[in-house]
Amino acid sequence: MKTFKNLVIPYVIWSSLMLLLPMLLIVFYSLISSGNTIVNFQFTLANYVRFFTDKDFLLILWRSLIIALETTVLCLLIGYPCAYYISKCSKKKQNFLIMMITLPMWINMLVRTYAWIGLLSKGGLISTILGWFGLHDVELLYTQSAVLIGMVYNFIPFMILQIHSSLTKMDGSLLEAASDLGASPMEAFWKVTFPLSLPGVISGITLVFLPAVSSFFIPKLLGGGSWYLIGNVIENQFITVGEWNFGSAISVIMALIMMLLMALVRKADARAKKEGV
Amino acid sequence: MKTKKRWFGGCLMVALCIFFYLPIVFMMVFSFNSSKSLTSFTGFSWKWYEQMFASHDMMDALYVTIIIALLATAISTIAGTITAIGMTYSKKLVRRYISQVNDLPMMNPEIVTAIGLMLLFITFRINRGFMTLLLAHVAFCIPYVILSVTPKLRSLDPNLADAAMDLGASPYRTLTQVIVPEIMPGIVSGALTAFTMSFDDFIISYFATGQGVKNLSIMVYTMAKRVNPSINAISTLIVLLITIILILINIVPALRKNIEKKRLEDPNYIPKPKKNGPKFLIGLIIVSLAAAGIYSIRPKQSSAQFAGQTLHLYLPGEYISDEMIANFEEMTGADVVIDNFDSNEQAYIKIANGESYDVIIPSDYMIERLIQKDYLQKLDPARVDAALVELDENTVGLSYDPLNEYSVPYFWGTVGIVYDKEQVSLEDLEREGWDIFADPKYRGNIYLYDSERDQFMSALKALGYSMNTADPAQLEEAYNYLVNIVETMDPEIVTDEIIDNMANARKALGLIYSGDATYVISENEQMGYYLPTQGTNIWVDGMCIPKNAQNVDLAYEFINYTAGYEAQMLNAEFVGYTPANLEAQNELAAEGGDYHGIDSFIPRSGFEMDETFNYNPDTRKLVADYWSRVKVAASNAK
Repeated sequence: MKTFKNLVIPYVIWSSLMLLLPMLLIVFYSLISSGNTIVNFQFTLANYVRFFTDKDFLLILWRSLIIALETTVLCLLIGYPCAYYISKCSKKKQNFLIMMITLPMWINMLVRTYAWIGLLSKGGLISTILGWFGLHDVELLYTQSAVLIGMVYNFIPFMILQIHSSLTKMDGSLLEAASDLGASPMEAFWKVTFPLSLPGVISGITLVFLPAVSSFFIPKLLGGGSWYLIGNVIENQFITVGEWNFGSAISVIMALIMMLLMALVRKADARAKKEGV
Repeated sequence: MKTKKRWFGGCLMVALCIFFYLPIVFMMVFSFNSSKSLTSFTGFSWKWYEQMFASHDMMDALYVTIIIALLATAISTIAGTITAIGMTYSKKLVRRYISQVNDLPMMNPEIVTAIGLMLLFITFRINRGFMTLLLAHVAFCIPYVILSVTPKLRSLDPNLADAAMDLGASPYRTLTQVIVPEIMPGIVSGALTAFTMSFDDFIISYFATGQGVKNLSIMVYTMAKRVNPSINAISTLIVLLITIILILINIVPALRKNIEKKRLEDPNYIPKPKKNGPKFLIGLIIVSLAAAGIYSIRPKQSSAQFAGQTLHLYLPGEYISDEMIANFEEMTGADVVIDNFDSNEQAYIKIANGESYDVIIPSDYMIERLIQKDYLQKLDPARVDAALVELDENTVGLSYDPLNEYSVPYFWGTVGIVYDKEQVSLEDLEREGWDIFADPKYRGNIYLYDSERDQFMSALKALGYSMNTADPAQLEEAYNYLVNIVETMDPEIVTDEIIDNMANARKALGLIYSGDATYVISENEQMGYYLPTQGTNIWVDGMCIPKNAQNVDLAYEFINYTAGYEAQMLNAEFVGYTPANLEAQNELAAEGGDYHGIDSFIPRSGFEMDETFNYNPDTRKLVADYWSRVKVAASNAK
């Protein structure tokens, strides 16, 4: 169909300009010194050297990765049983529950995160409830726990939806076969259900981990000024300090680390699948 | 065993739903609260809704969000569908290229995509604003549309298009009447995804916009530091809107199916031929064009002098009264678009990037820097003298702009310590001055202010140096002094959050601007304001016109009106800062005035140790770097 083939041309141009070029620009800016222009520049690795020789920045990067990991693990631990429960419900109830989970996602993330400020602040609902259990004067807002709650809250729906969709795609007769062959429900779960749901788990992990590492408004709103993560450092470089070159270098480093981690996860997934067969 | 498991899963599910909906319900309930508190419900009131509808800023943000979402959805749905169709007929190489490039925004952290677009706009000198915001949204929406349309195309019979054309259909007709109807479900779900992505987006919008064009997310982000229940009100409105849309999407097709089913059961019913036009899309385009039309012709009905013109104003957040802006708009017929900054440094970067505003309100030292870098216009004395005469003499003729050739003072004040009289004794304050921030008695009970200049001022004054020192050794000493505080005192480093927190007595003391202290004390009499005898910073914020201002006449009009008595009364009553206008200042401080008897309202004058801050290009970078390292040290100490 030659007539329709040409329909892609505008998009090839557009995507090169609006999606590919910006990425190249980040790499470009990260490799030149500040004050250089697009026509008059000199390549340098100084921005990268600066990042890797400053232990404070490395510590922040490390902490961002850890908190993203904690978020991912929590989302998986809570999300998996939920997704499993939903997948065992009747079709009608499944639709309802999935709608209950997706509905909040339609509401602006900033707005939902903002709502937590009131809940977590001193004298707020949560600290009052904790007070009933004898836990008085617990500082919640502007702590690491607050940041963690905010992250799990924002990202757990992605995990549940991914796992749920891979669980429902599963062939039910496999489980019957397993139990016919004498597997206990526990065994059947670990040997059949769980391995088959792995693709959902993997894409769930990706969808939670990726935004959690780079998130900067959750730590800013719920962590106050004292919970600096790598996303905040980047924002700060661009918005307040104006050092785009250094900011670009940090972004490149972050993007590379993510790619590496995602590649590792995919590889683990592929291996698990191979062994499963 | 099985029932037990179900029981566990059910409980988890209920807990999760509470977790999901608690904040939303909480927000809705508190949008009707009669007081500002976010923790106790004091009674029912509509006032935050009234305030929301009266707030120009919020309504603008709502407009921008909806219009951008509609336009971005329409454009990206059409472009994405066309591209997806083209892709199925093109070479493998092209297909792979497109899907690789489309993966970029999906596989990279959003902030990376965002700064990439920002760099793109800056590099090619594209002024950031509504257009760039739209471009950015279209850019990240199209990949999602392509992603949801492509599978539908794959399951399409490849010979379908050929058949249609063999039968004499034109390519256009084949496309719109044969292919598109077949892949409609994919297009609709792509459009829905695009709409949600655009409606919700924060990170990319935050970096791609400019000139005060902001969507709801950006507005919430910049306003969230100060409790403002109108945010809850507007959020509730959005929740309702979204719920209605979702119900329509989910229920209407189901109802239609039911009706059709009943009709089919009726033996006399003759089915109507199905119309194949992409009705949904056409509807969407009409709606968004109509909305865009309404947006563009909205405020132009006035016949006043500046009717239909726009003033771009750039100032710190929560620094001007909505009522004053409304008065000015009514008087001149102009439309005021406000953009806020967190810090003078942030403002400088935007100005240096070439973003254009008509009036900006930075602080003294930043005015000095902007003058040095030639970013400000010289003001015409004939057009501002009348305003300057009415000001407090302490605010004019200062070293940053000795003849007030570039700026007209707006607010002025000091930097001091706000403290809870029940937790901190005045004796401690008098004995220790700024050193009270290092007093272990108040460990874990203090706020520092996230501003390099003010924190370094307190440290340098505590050490007995000038706050304008250029001596690297003294600066390093101040840096170590601050690092010691953040490592041993467990302080909270905040900006505007300090206002509500101190008004609620959440900590014993903190570094604060006099105007914020005035507001805190007027809310809670238990709080006091103290200026150490070691000296402090006397500061002035002034109104300036940048060189690249687009509407200079309107800018003069604004400056003259805002410097006057009437406007300054409204502004000062709203924020608590001290107006440079002498008459307004005296009236507010006099008996019966809003701020009668509050120490922080009238800045201390004639005190030898007090200084104004001067801009020094040599120390600026050093201090900025030191401060960011103090903050890093603080967050690593936790």
